[in-house]
Amino acid sequence: MAKTVDIHAPDVEVKKSCCYFCHQNCGVLAYVKDGDVIKIEGDPSHLTNQGGLCCRGNIALLHLNHPARINHPLRRVGAKGENKWEKVPWDQAVAEIAERLCAIKAESGAEAVATAGGTLRTDDWARRRFMNLFGSPNSFHNALLCWIPTFMVETAVSGWSPFETDLGESRCVILWGFNPGASTMPGMRGYSDLQKAGLKLIVVDPRFSETAAHADLWLPLRPGSDTALALAMIHVIIYEGLANQEFCRDWCIGFDELTEHVAQYSPEWASELTWLDPDLIRQAAHMYAKNTPGNIQWGCTADQLGKTSGAGMHARAVLRAITGNLDCPGGDLMPGPSHYYITDEELEANEWLPEEQKAKQIGADKFKLTSWPGYQRIADVARETWGKAPTAEWFCEAHGPSVFKAILTGDPYQVRAMIVSATNPVNSYGDAKMTLEALKQCEFLVVCEYWMTPAALYADYVMPIAGALERPVIHNNYGVTDHLIASQRAIQPKFERRCDYDFWRDLALACGQDAEQWPWETLEEAFWYVVYPIASMGYQFESYDDFVEKYRFFYPPMHYYKYGANGFSTPSRRVELKSSILEELGYPALPTWIGPPENETDDPEVAQEYPLVLTTGGGFMPYHHSEQFNITSVRFLRHEPYFTINPLKAAELGISDGDWCWIETRRGRIRQRANVEPSVDPRVVFAQRGWWYPELGPKAPDPYGCLRSNVNVLSSVDDEHCDPIGGSWANRGLLCKVYKVGHRDQVDTQFSIPGSSAQPGVTVPPSEQRLAYEPIPFEPAPGFEVPEGLAWDASTRMAWDVERGLAYDPGSGWLYHPETLVYYDVVTRYAYDPDRECLVDEETGVRYHLETREPLGDDAEGGERL
Amino acid sequence: MTRYAMVMDQRRCIGCQSCTVACRTWNELPMDIIYNPVVTEGVLGVFPHVHQTFTPLICMHCDNPPCTICCPCKASQQDPDGIVWVDETKCMGCKVCVNSCPYGARDVNAAEGFVRKCTFCKDRVRDGEQPYCVATCHQKARVFGDLDDPQSDVSKLVNSLQANRIFTELGTDPQVYYLPDLGGVK
Repeated sequence: MAKTVDIHAPDVEVKKSCCYFCHQNCGVLAYVKDGDVIKIEGDPSHLTNQGGLCCRGNIALLHLNHPARINHPLRRVGAKGENKWEKVPWDQAVAEIAERLCAIKAESGAEAVATAGGTLRTDDWARRRFMNLFGSPNSFHNALLCWIPTFMVETAVSGWSPFETDLGESRCVILWGFNPGASTMPGMRGYSDLQKAGLKLIVVDPRFSETAAHADLWLPLRPGSDTALALAMIHVIIYEGLANQEFCRDWCIGFDELTEHVAQYSPEWASELTWLDPDLIRQAAHMYAKNTPGNIQWGCTADQLGKTSGAGMHARAVLRAITGNLDCPGGDLMPGPSHYYITDEELEANEWLPEEQKAKQIGADKFKLTSWPGYQRIADVARETWGKAPTAEWFCEAHGPSVFKAILTGDPYQVRAMIVSATNPVNSYGDAKMTLEALKQCEFLVVCEYWMTPAALYADYVMPIAGALERPVIHNNYGVTDHLIASQRAIQPKFERRCDYDFWRDLALACGQDAEQWPWETLEEAFWYVVYPIASMGYQFESYDDFVEKYRFFYPPMHYYKYGANGFSTPSRRVELKSSILEELGYPALPTWIGPPENETDDPEVAQEYPLVLTTGGGFMPYHHSEQFNITSVRFLRHEPYFTINPLKAAELGISDGDWCWIETRRGRIRQRANVEPSVDPRVVFAQRGWWYPELGPKAPDPYGCLRSNVNVLSSVDDEHCDPIGGSWANRGLLCKVYKVGHRDQVDTQFSIPGSSAQPGVTVPPSEQRLAYEPIPFEPAPGFEVPEGLAWDASTRMAWDVERGLAYDPGSGWLYHPETLVYYDVVTRYAYDPDRECLVDEETGVRYHLETREPLGDDAEGGERL
Repeated sequence: MTRYAMVMDQRRCIGCQSCTVACRTWNELPMDIIYNPVVTEGVLGVFPHVHQTFTPLICMHCDNPPCTICCPCKASQQDPDGIVWVDETKCMGCKVCVNSCPYGARDVNAAEGFVRKCTFCKDRVRDGEQPYCVATCHQKARVFGDLDDPQSDVSKLVNSLQANRIFTELGTDPQVYYLPDLGGVK
C-alpha cells in the first residue's frame, strides 16, 4: 500500500520525544522532515514502553495538527461566554495580562491572584516560581485527588513515600484501587510478565476491571470502604502473629499502642462495612504478609474517598511497615530527593514567598498536611535528613474548591483573578456546577490551553500552549524521586504556541520580575541547568539535547536499607506508626476509622432516598481525564458515556442495556447510558468520568455539554465531606439513585454552597463550614525538665520567664534574652558578664560569683558599676 | 521458505484497543475503515464470579484465501510468504472479495473506490520490523513471526496445546492463532 511518507528517506531526522497524554511519558520516536513531524512510533529502546503505545499515544500527530487547536493568543471581545475573540500577538497579550494582574495586586494584595492546574502536563516549578516572586500562595492543582495526600501522609509516617515498587524481587503486590489495565499500560505488561514468574496479584476494586480479571485474589469491596479493609488487615497481621517483629521492635515506634488500637478492627467488624467475607479479608492479609517481600501499589482511589482518605493512607503506610516491606529488596522503596540533579523544589524559589503571605493560603487553616503548616514541618525534617525537601508545587497548595468558593463568596477574602493552566476545572474538580459558576464570575480569567474548553470560554485571554512533540520533557515523578527520564522536542512549537514555561517567564518579566531571577531563556536551558550536575557521575554531554541523545535515562546507584545509617526521615528517626507530625497538626496519631462521606451506617435517611453506591473517577480507555473527547480517531471507540449497573438491579429498576438514565445524588443529576453487566455488585453503580461534548458548541446553560454527563456534578466538596488531613474530596462511595430519563428533563445548573440540589445559593459561608471532625488539641510536651518559675509555651516549644521575657536554653541550662542574646542565671536572674566571668545584677549593678552566686569582694565592687 | 503468521495471546489482551487506533494512524486509514477491531465478550457470569474475553480480529492471511481466487482483476493476491494484499492500482472496488471473506476483514472506502485490508504491514515486515499492531501492543499480546522457523516464538506458540483458530471448518486454513483466556479470577 502506498504510504504518503517515507520515514527512511535521507533527509528525515529521528527525534527522541515522548508521549504527553498521561504520566507514563512513554518514549516516542518522531520522524521529522523540514521542521515538521511526519510520523511517530513507540520507541523500542525506551525502558518504560519498549515500543508500546496506547490509543492516546498513537494519535499524537492528530493532536499536533488538529484543526480545533488554539494557535494564537485570543482576547475576549464579546461578553463572557459569548465565544467572540480577536487574535493578539503573544507579547501584547502577556503585557496586558501582566498589567491587569499588577493592578489587582496593588488594590487587593497578591493573594487575590490564584492559579489552577490539572494533572501533570506542565513544568509547574516555573508556575510556582512566578507565584512566589509575585507573592501569592494560592496556586493549586487537582493534586489532592492524585497521590499528593498519600505522599504526604506516608512521608509523615515513614520519612518518604515508599512509592517505588521493586517488583523484580517481589512475591506479592496489592493493586489497591488501581487498574493499570486501563490507565498505565506499561505497568500492566510488567505485572503480567511477573505474574507468570510467580508474583501474587491481589486486586482491590469494586469492579471487575481489566486488572481484576487477572488477579490471584480479587476483593470486590463496597466503594469507599477501603480504610476499613486496611485496618482489618492490620488487625489480622498483628493478632495472627504475621508482623515482622524484628522490624517493628528496632525501627518502629508506637507498635504497642497500635496493637491496642486496632483490637477493635476485626475482619468481622470490617465485613459489614466492606461487604467482604471476613475470611476473604484474612486470606488477603495472609497472602500479603506471608509472601514477603511484597508491595502495595498506590492507586488514585486512595486520594478520592473524601473524609476517610487520610486514615486509609495512614493504614496502608502501617501495613507496609509492620510487614517489614520498607526499602528492602523487593519491597517499597523510598528514593528520597535526588542528590545528583537539581530538583523541582530548588527551582521554585520558595524562600522568596514572605511568611505573612504563606499564612494567607486558602484552606491552610483546615487541610493542614498538604498546605504550608504540614509541608513546612515535613520539609524541615527532610532537609535535616537529605539536605533537600519535597517539591512545594503539588505538595503544598491552596485547597482548590475553597478557592472557587472564595471567588463566589469573598470568604475568606475575594479572589479576583485566576490563571487556569492545563486543566478543564468544570470536568476535573468536584462540584462542577459550583466550579462553572466560579469561572463565570471570576473577575479576570486567563486560560492556557490546547482547545476551547468550558473554562476557556469564560476567559478574558486564552493562551495557546505547545503540546507533546513541541516541548522537551523531564520525567521525575513530580520532582520527588532520584532518577530522571529526559526527552527532547521533536519540533519547535507551531504557530504562536509556546510552552507553559515560556508563558510564566514572559509573564514574570512583564510583571517587573528581575531577569536575573529567570536566567533560562528556553526550557532546554533550564533543563540543562537541571541535568548538568549529573556530569559529575562521569556522564559526558554538552547540552540538554545531547544528554537525551546519548543517555536519556539517569538512574543513580541503587541503595537498599538507606535508613540503616541515619534512621528514617521522621522527627524520631523511626517509622512512626503513631505519627507525631499528624498529632501535632491536630489529627489522630493512629489510623482511626471514619466512614466515607455518605454511607448507609452514618446517614441512614440519605441511604433511604439514595440506595445505590456510586463509584467514579476510575480511568478507562481511550480517554485520560477529560482529554481526547474532541479527537474523532479516539472518540469513535466510545462515543457516548456509559455507567455500569448489575443486571439484577437493572431488572428491578426497569432499565435495559443502552437506556439513557439519570444518576442522581444530593447535589444534582447527570445522564449516561446503561451498560448492564455483572461486573459490579447489585448495590453499586460505576459511572465514567470526564465526559463533555466538544461537538455541542458553547451554548448556555452548559457549554460543550459540560454538565450533562459530568460525574463531578454528583461529587461534594463540602468541608465536612473532605478529608481533614489532606483535603481530598470524594469520587467514590457516594450515595445515588438511578432512573430512566424522561422526555422533557433538563440540565440543571443551579449551584449551592454547601452542595445541595434542594437549597440553591450560599446557605453556610465557607468559613463557617465544619470539618468532618474537630482538630484534636495537641500540646507538645517539653522534652526537658522545666526549671521552677518558668512557664512552658507549646506554640514556641520553649520555656519562658514570662515577666522578663527570657527564654530557657535547655542545652546550657541558662536563660537568655532573644533579642540582646545576653545570658542570665536561671536561679537568680543575674546577667552573665563574659568579660569578667561573673554575674551582674542589672538593677543594682552588684557583681556575684559565677558558681557560688555570692557577692564579690570590695576589689571588684570598688570598680565601675554597670 | 517463510510463512508469516500471528498469534493473539488472549490471556494477556486487556481490550485497550490500542492496536485498533495504532493501525489506523500508522496506515493512515479513512474514518470508516478498521483493520483491527477488538471484540469484547462479557462481562458474563454472576457477580462476583464473572469473566470477560477480548478477541482481536484481523485479516487471517489464510493459506487457502477465498478472497484471491474470486478477484476478477487479479488485484487481490497472495505473496509466497503468505501475506494477502490488494494492488489498489488494479482494484476496481467490485466488492466480490469483501463478500467472500468470512472474517469481514476487508472493505471499500467509498471516496477511494478500492478495497483496503490488513497487509501485516508488509513494508515494515520486509524491513525486518514487526507489524505496527504488534510493536504498539503494550501487553505484548500479539506475537508475529515465521511459522516455518521452528525456533520462532510464533512457531512454538502455534504448536502449543492451546492454540485455536477461527472458522477452520470453512477450509480457509487461517494463519492467525488464538491462545484463549480461560476467564474469571485465577
